[in-house]
Amino acid sequence: MRRFSILSVGLYLGLALLAWGSAARAGALEDLIAGAKKEGVIDFYGPSTLGPDGAQAILDAFNKKYGLNIKVNFTPSGNMTRDTAKVIGLSASGQPPEWDIMLVTDAHHGSLWLRKLQKPFDYSSLGIDKQRVHYDNGTVSVANQFALPAYNTKLVPAKDVPKTWEDLLDPKWKGKLGVINSTHHFGRLAAGAWGDEKTLDFVKKLSAQKPLLTRAGEMAQRLILGEVLVSATLQDSQLHEVKDSGAPLAFAEQVSPVVSPEYHVGVIKNSAHPSVGHLMVAFMASAEVQAAWQKYTGHTSAFVPGTPAYKFAQGKKVLYMKQDQAEKIDKISRQIGKILGFD
Amino acid sequence: MKIESRSEAVIGFSEGLGRFLPQGVTVFAAGLSAFLVLFIGLPVTMVILMSFRTGFPGEVVPFTWENYATVYLTPRTYEVLLNTIFFAVSSVAITLVIAVPLVWILMRTDIPFKKTIYVLLTIGILIPVFLRTIAWILLLSPRIGLVNKWLQQIFALSDPPLNLYSLTGMAFVQGISFVPGAFFMLAAAYRSMDPSLEEAAYTAGVSKFRTFLKINIPITLPAIAAVMVYLFMTAIAVFEVPAIIGLPARIHVLSSLIFTSTTPSTGLPDYGMAGAYGAIMLILGLTLAFLYVRLVKQGKKYTVITGRGYRPREIALGKWKWAALAFVLVYLSIEVFIPFSVLLWASLLPYLQLPSAEALSSLTLKHYVELPTHVGVRPFVNTLILMFSVPTITMVLSVLVSWIVIRTQVSFRGFMDTLVFIPHAVPGILMAVGLGYLGLAYRDYFPLYGTILIIVLAHTINWIAYGTRTTNSVMIQVHRELEEAGRVAGASSARVLWKVVLPLIAAGVLNSWVWIGMLSYREVTMALTLLTRSNVVIATVVWQFWGSGWVPQVSALGVVLILFAALVVGGVRLALSRVGEIGAAS
Repeated sequence: MRRFSILSVGLYLGLALLAWGSAARAGALEDLIAGAKKEGVIDFYGPSTLGPDGAQAILDAFNKKYGLNIKVNFTPSGNMTRDTAKVIGLSASGQPPEWDIMLVTDAHHGSLWLRKLQKPFDYSSLGIDKQRVHYDNGTVSVANQFALPAYNTKLVPAKDVPKTWEDLLDPKWKGKLGVINSTHHFGRLAAGAWGDEKTLDFVKKLSAQKPLLTRAGEMAQRLILGEVLVSATLQDSQLHEVKDSGAPLAFAEQVSPVVSPEYHVGVIKNSAHPSVGHLMVAFMASAEVQAAWQKYTGHTSAFVPGTPAYKFAQGKKVLYMKQDQAEKIDKISRQIGKILGFD
Repeated sequence: MKIESRSEAVIGFSEGLGRFLPQGVTVFAAGLSAFLVLFIGLPVTMVILMSFRTGFPGEVVPFTWENYATVYLTPRTYEVLLNTIFFAVSSVAITLVIAVPLVWILMRTDIPFKKTIYVLLTIGILIPVFLRTIAWILLLSPRIGLVNKWLQQIFALSDPPLNLYSLTGMAFVQGISFVPGAFFMLAAAYRSMDPSLEEAAYTAGVSKFRTFLKINIPITLPAIAAVMVYLFMTAIAVFEVPAIIGLPARIHVLSSLIFTSTTPSTGLPDYGMAGAYGAIMLILGLTLAFLYVRLVKQGKKYTVITGRGYRPREIALGKWKWAALAFVLVYLSIEVFIPFSVLLWASLLPYLQLPSAEALSSLTLKHYVELPTHVGVRPFVNTLILMFSVPTITMVLSVLVSWIVIRTQVSFRGFMDTLVFIPHAVPGILMAVGLGYLGLAYRDYFPLYGTILIIVLAHTINWIAYGTRTTNSVMIQVHRELEEAGRVAGASSARVLWKVVLPLIAAGVLNSWVWIGMLSYREVTMALTLLTRSNVVIATVVWQFWGSGWVPQVSALGVVLILFAALVVGGVRLALSRVGEIGAAS
């Protein structure tokens, strides 16, 4: 009888806690929805591969789910590194950010986190899996990118396709390579598998190959045209973007380790529309967004079994970034940029 | 009697005092000068100020020489300086090699299709340099350039003979793009040239080509020299070509270094370094401006090109007519037709590719259809704001300044004229960086950062020198008698300006208004330096699209922009057909 009573009390307590949690969650959600209604608009910075159509599709689903009529001002990224630096510069000057939310890689969000430029929110209170919440409640992960050397399939014969990172240093590629300004790709190698010395030595040798230096989207076009035969790294976003057009672009998939930047989304400190921002960040973890995200950018989460990203990562050595690597990657990526001649 | 005496005494006292009190015009001129000192001086002061500071704009930091030490003790700075000078000199040389014969052919000979050529040259000026540069990559890139491929095939060469990714390649593209501007600047000198020396040479049996070399060029040398200096000043400040061709190949010039200092690809913005680099540019600019003013003054001393009372006869080219036409067509091809064709081609493809049967079968109009979605409304609205407000503010200020400088005896009118010429010596990119710094560091007093107004301000300052040169020249042509008649009739100075002077100079002012509007529409360097999400304009959308790899989309936008420019130019030429010949007011 006593045992039954304890069990009953436990059950009641559990239910009460669950109910309280649900009520608290519902309360937090209602507060955000009410705030979002007042704010009415969101300034959204995201990958250019998502495009205005993708951003609008996500917003339509968002409005439908929460019964809102929010307008979106989407800014496609032309240069995530430069725009992250811009946010840092504006904040240091006491200016508000240009965007409410930024959907950029974990390395870029790492740079913001180091300077405390995200506006944290307890996203788990909205039911978001804690494993997807990063940078001290500053961001939520959305999907994984993969970065590898990419080449023009029409102009590079199969036997010449790089099989290791070191193959890029072969003198035959001199003047035919490209490097994009996402120098954090090499920064991740330094923080992970390679260490500083090996990475910097590799980058110096790569620089001696006289590569063409551009932004990622521009590099994809130069690869397709054949102006560059191999790009030292490129994201799968660019491959996905041209996939349907039949452009001759592919990854050198034998190269290992594979670098995997993760797309994170977070509200920027001093954002003009924080409620709609937090609500949108939470919404980004939903299944609806995952589907839209896959449709427009080709990206999925590498940690959700069955997704294309999950399948791609199987059997490969993949480098994921950890929060404690943020400072190192931030610093060494700038050093690498200087060695390559970007600034 | 007493009363009368008192009145006379009061009047006498007032007149006596009046002699010591400044007149209304002087007060107005002083107010306008003070406004212009602030308007023009502040961004320049900011450039100097930021060169002595480290950290981000707005941070409280002590003044330091650190930036200068870093910049001037680094060998790279001198390499970049040499690059800049080589790039500027070569660009100007390429421009003049084409522009001088072109001006002579169009202004002094009976070449056919003159009007059409004028319109095409005008369109050439309005095609954004950015878009043309992209087209030149497709033609002259060492790996994919069509011209290189053809040359390799024809001459069985193992390596591509031309390399666009070099200082020479950059200078070639920049030089070509300067030609229409140089043409219109030289046109006035050639049109009003005294033909007697030329005719004497022909009478003596000297050939047309030799006459051109020995008579025409020496006579117009001061005008050519002035244009050279003007273009040199422009060449050290331009950014588009150095950005698209130079940066990928690690070729830096001063303008690209200043841009990457404030908007770096991989690091954090460094306004202090931009300021220290800017100081070099400022010194170069001011020296060249001084040289330019001297050359223009020297040019005016040449009585043979005053043009008064002359109406030069057109030279009959005879059988050389077709050779001259071929020269013009070759130039127009590389300036207008080829870039336009390349853009049109790229805009119709699913992804950028060289011409082939496979590419032909995949042509599509989808990028045109999708343009409204990709570009949105804001860039168009902002661009329209620029196109109307920049020329309006510039021309209002220019008319007021010119009226004081040309029409009044205000003692400091020379100072005012020099003041409005200063922006000509300060490269646009530097002006924009200065304004950006002002907006970021002193946002409480100057809350314009991130708005379209800051670009309006940058453009207005940049073109006020051009505006006042135009209004000075047209106002000189209005005889004083008309104004005096107005004053005798009892009208105030303001009323005379409004009712007499303005209607007489309206055509010239309107012509400049249109030009400044179109220059503002295509300007990208300053707009890009001051770019934020809220003040995006069409010119910066082009840059963003290119960076995102949306080449077919950017090409579609380019085609639309060029057609728009052609429509505007055609319409304006029609509307202003009574103004007279091209170049009259420019």
